[in-house]
Amino acid sequence: MAKVPTRKPKKKVCVFCKEKISYVDYKDTNLLRKFISDRGKIRARRVTGNCTQHQRDVATAVKNSREMALLPYTSAAR
Amino acid sequence: MRRYELMVLLDPDVEERTVAPSLEQYLGVVRNDGGTVEKVDIWGRRRLAYEIGKKAEGIYAIVDLVAEPAAVKELDRQLNLNETVLRTKLIRPETR
Repeated sequence: MAKVPTRKPKKKVCVFCKEKISYVDYKDTNLLRKFISDRGKIRARRVTGNCTQHQRDVATAVKNSREMALLPYTSAAR
Repeated sequence: MRRYELMVLLDPDVEERTVAPSLEQYLGVVRNDGGTVEKVDIWGRRRLAYEIGKKAEGIYAIVDLVAEPAAVKELDRQLNLNETVLRTKLIRPETR
């Protein structure tokens, strides 16, 4: 008996690959904010749909950005 | 020669007008060593995502430059010695 998938897997395409962006800028906080939660945590790849390389680039950019106080390390949202 | 991008985060108590001249003074290190400063972009006062040394604001400045690694290292060292510099970040944009 074949297992029926309850949820159909929606294949997400990495936004950076789609837009052909090769360099994720740590200064672009508006872009990076899309990849952090409202508590300031970096969103997982399964949430963002980024490819391995770009997820890594995003994570590094967020961390660089945090060091310069452009993005929060934590933001206690209640 | 390598291309660098330097971000400097300055104390908000510094007059914004004096930022450019004092930054120029530091960039002399690069120029004297044969490097070139391509762009100085002063973002101005911005709210920090978290407090640094009890300060809620900071003045951001971005400098694009091409220089020898040693010159840039010295520039970064001198900036960090300055009390009005809260943070610096030196990045090589295309090698990532």
